[in-house]
Amino acid sequence: MTTLRVLTVDDSRTILAMLHHTLSNAGFEVLQAEDGQQGLNVLMKESVDVVITDINMPVMDGIEFIRHVRATGNHQSLPILILTTETSQDKRDQGKAAGGTGWIVKPFDPEKLISVIHRVVH
Amino acid sequence: MSDLDDFKATYFDECSELLNELEEQFAAIEAGERDSDRLNAVFRAIHSIKGGAGAFGFSALVGFAHAYETLLDYVRDGRVELTDDVCALCIRANDIIADHVKAAQSGDVLAADYGMEEKERFDALARGESADDDDETGGEIIEEFDIDFTPVMVNLEAPAEDDAAPAEDAFDTAPLQPESGHWEVIFTPHRALYERANDPLLLFRELAALGQMHTRAVLGEIPPLANFEPFAVYCSWEISIVSPTLTEAAIREVFEFVEGDCDITVTQVGASAAPASAKSAPAAAADAGLDLLALADDEVGVAPAKSAAKSSAKAASAASAQDKFEEAPGLSFSELAETMAPPPKPAAPPRAKPTALAAAAPAADGEEHAGRAVGVQSIRVDLDKVDRVVNMVGELVITQSMLTQQMDETLRARYTELVRGLEVLAQTTRGLQDSVMAIRAQPVKSVFSRMPRLVRELATKTGKKIKLETIGENTEIDKTVIEQLSDPLTHMIRNSADHGIEQPEVRLGRGKSETGTIRLSAEQAGGNILIIVEDDGGGINRERVLQVARDKGVIPPDTNPTDEQIDQLIFAPGFSTAAEVSDLSGRGVGMDVVLSNIKKIGGSVHVRSSTGKGTRMTLRLPLTLAVLDVMLVKVGDSPYVVPLSSIVETIQVSRASFERVPSGGQVLQVRGEYVQVIDLAKRFDMKGQTDPESRFVVLCEAEGSQKVALIVDDIIGQQQVVIKSLEENFERVEGIAGGTILGDGNVALIVDVQGLKTQLIHKNAA
Repeated sequence: MTTLRVLTVDDSRTILAMLHHTLSNAGFEVLQAEDGQQGLNVLMKESVDVVITDINMPVMDGIEFIRHVRATGNHQSLPILILTTETSQDKRDQGKAAGGTGWIVKPFDPEKLISVIHRVVH
Repeated sequence: MSDLDDFKATYFDECSELLNELEEQFAAIEAGERDSDRLNAVFRAIHSIKGGAGAFGFSALVGFAHAYETLLDYVRDGRVELTDDVCALCIRANDIIADHVKAAQSGDVLAADYGMEEKERFDALARGESADDDDETGGEIIEEFDIDFTPVMVNLEAPAEDDAAPAEDAFDTAPLQPESGHWEVIFTPHRALYERANDPLLLFRELAALGQMHTRAVLGEIPPLANFEPFAVYCSWEISIVSPTLTEAAIREVFEFVEGDCDITVTQVGASAAPASAKSAPAAAADAGLDLLALADDEVGVAPAKSAAKSSAKAASAASAQDKFEEAPGLSFSELAETMAPPPKPAAPPRAKPTALAAAAPAADGEEHAGRAVGVQSIRVDLDKVDRVVNMVGELVITQSMLTQQMDETLRARYTELVRGLEVLAQTTRGLQDSVMAIRAQPVKSVFSRMPRLVRELATKTGKKIKLETIGENTEIDKTVIEQLSDPLTHMIRNSADHGIEQPEVRLGRGKSETGTIRLSAEQAGGNILIIVEDDGGGINRERVLQVARDKGVIPPDTNPTDEQIDQLIFAPGFSTAAEVSDLSGRGVGMDVVLSNIKKIGGSVHVRSSTGKGTRMTLRLPLTLAVLDVMLVKVGDSPYVVPLSSIVETIQVSRASFERVPSGGQVLQVRGEYVQVIDLAKRFDMKGQTDPESRFVVLCEAEGSQKVALIVDDIIGQQQVVIKSLEENFERVEGIAGGTILGDGNVALIVDVQGLKTQLIHKNAA
C-alpha cells in the first residue's frame, strides 16, 4: 500500500501542527507550506495525492493558490480541500469556484478530517 | 507533555507573534498608512488567533475575536470607514485580545463582561452606526458564533483505508425508516465537477458503502466521434441503492461537495423491488481496454475497491469511443487512442518519485516520511540545546587558547605545521562561536512591541498626550539579555511618561507641541547594544533630586555634585523619590532596580538630562553574555582582564602626563582632557610594581563617554574568555564584574570599569 501524501498549506503553525499530528497518525505523509506561494513551490517539486489549504494567508491566499494549481497542466485532477473557519458560505463558494474539490470546517474533528480526505482521494 | 499541550505551546507562541504583528500594523495604520495590505494582515492575525482558540475551546477568546474579525472584515471591504475612532477601538480590541490570550494561557478567567462594551461597539459599527453610539442592543453577531469543540487529538487511531467510516456516521444519525429501502439516484455530472477534481468513482465508492449498489452508465448523449470533444461530459449514471436504514439526507451528503456541479435526483422506489446482485467489478483492472469497454456493456456493479483505479470519466469516454468505433471503421485502435488523449480527467495525479528533494536531503529522508516540512525556512529548537552548544563552544575556546599559550617560541620554530593548524583552529573556533551566538540572537522587537500598549495606558492614566517612536527594532541581541530587558525598559518608560513628559497645558505653555514624544531606539555600537529611552519632557528636576538625596542620606548634605552626578543619582541605591512617586512609575522602588537588573546582565545605564528639553537614558548591553573579548593585564602578580569593548587606548606610564588635583587624587591629561586615575593595585590591595616606569595606563571609556584611566602593572595580550559569574560561585565583589578561567588554568578577575567609575563618582560626591 502506498502512503498517501498530503500537502497542508496554512499560515498558522498551530493548525499545521494539528493537521500534521492527525494526518501522520492516520498514516499519511505530510508536507507543509505556510502560504500559497510556498505551496506552489512544493507542488513544483513534489507529487502529492491531496492538498489541504487555508484561505486567509499572506503572500498568496488560498483562492489564488487554488487557481494557480488548477492552471497547471498536471494538477487538474489533484483534489484540493479548503480548510476554513468561515461559517458563512461565501469563502467556501469562492474556493470552489476557483477549483476547490471540497472543504473542511475548522476546528476540525480528526476522524471527520480523515473521512473527508478519503472522500476525494483514490 | 501531551500532544495537546504541545499544540497549545505552539499556539501561544504564535499568538505572541501575531500580537506583535498587530502592534506593528496599527502603528503604521495610526501613522496614516491605511492600505489594504495592512488591513488584510490585521484580519489574518485575528483570524489565526481565533482559529487556534476554536481548536482549544477558548470560547471567550473566540467570541471576542469573532466579533472583532467581523468588524475588520467590514472595514476591509469599506462598509465601515476606518476613522481615528475606529482605529482607536481596534487598538483597544488588540489589547483585549492580548488579555484573553494571556488568560487562556494562564488558565485565569476574565470577567464575563470583559470587552463587552467594545463588542457592542463592533456590532453597532457593523450595523452602520457611528463608533460613539452607545447602543445597547448589540450582540447577535457575537452570539451566533457559539463554538463548542472538545479537542480529540490524542489517541487518534488511523481509520482503515476504505472503511465505511462516513457511512457509519450516516447510520447513527439517520432515523430508521421501515418502509424505505430502495433508492434510485440519477446523477449527471457537469464539466465543473471534473474541473474541481471530483471523481464520480469516488462518489460511487461512498454510495456503495451505504448499501447494496447497482450502477448503470447512460451513454445516449455520446456524439459521433467526429464531433466528440475530449473535455466535454457525455456520461450520466443511474444508480440504485438498497439498504433498510438509508435516508435521502445520507445520499445527498455523499454529493455535498459536488452540489451545483451536477444534476441529481433522488427518489425512493417500492421496497419490494428485489435488488439485483451487483456483479463485482474486476478488482485489479488489469487490462484497461477490456475492462473499460465492459463498462459500456449495459450494467456493471461498482465495487468499492480501491484497486478500481480507472476514473469513471475516462471509462465513459473510452466507452463512448467504443460505441462510435464501428461508425468510424477507418480508424485503427491506436489512432482512436490518440483521438481520446487527453481523457477528460486522468484518474490520478502523476506519482513520479520526487527527485530534487531526494537528492537534496538523501540522509534525512530515511524511514520518516511524515512531517517533512518543505519550504519552511526556520526550525524551532529548544533553548537548552542551543545553550549546550554555547557552553561547549565556550570550553572549546578555552582549550584552544590554552593550546596556543602552550606553544612557546622553541615549539613554534620546530613545529610550523602545528602552528599553522592551531591558527586555523583559532579561526574556526572564532567562526563557530560567532555562528552559535547568532543563533541565540533575537531582534529587540519582541520587547519593543510591548511598549506601545504601556505608553497608551500611561497616557490614559496620567491624562497626558504621549506618542511612542521606536527605532532599530530589528537590532539583534542575545535572547537572555532580551528576556532581562523587559522590566528595566518598562520602568524607564514609566519614568519618562510619569516624571518626564509634562501635562499638555504645561507643554503648550513651554512652547512645545501638546503631545510628548518618547523615543525608544536600539543600535549596535561595537561589541555593545545601546538601548536609548529619550523623552522631550521637562528633564530631571535636579534641585528636587539633590534635596531628596541629601534628605535620604544618599550623599552627605555638604557636597556639591555636578549636574551629571546629580542625574546619575536617580540610579543610586536607596534613592527612591517615593514622595513624588505615583502609582505608575514608582511602585515603591527606585531606578536603582533598573541599574541592578541591567548590571546583572553585564550592562550599564547612563542618564543625561537637559532642563526643559528632556531626558535621555542609555542602556549599554553586551551583545552576548557568554564570551567576552578582553585584554589580559597584570595587577601585582595576578592576572586581571579588562573588557576590550571599554578600552580606548593604552599608554606607558612613563609617557603619560599626570597631574595632582587639590583633593589629593591624580588625574591624567589626555589630549586636553583630564581623566580620573585608578591604580588597580591600590584599589584591589595588591602589591604593585615598585618601578612606576614599567607600568601601563589602560584608558577606558565608561558610560556616556566618561573616561577613566586604570593603572596596571603589565599588559599580557588580548584574548577571549568565557565569563563565569562571581555571584553564583562566590559573592558579589565591588569593582569586579566576574571571573574567568584562563588557558593555563588560572583564574582571572574581570574588571568592572563602569562600577569603578561609579564608585569614584560617589566617593567624590561624598
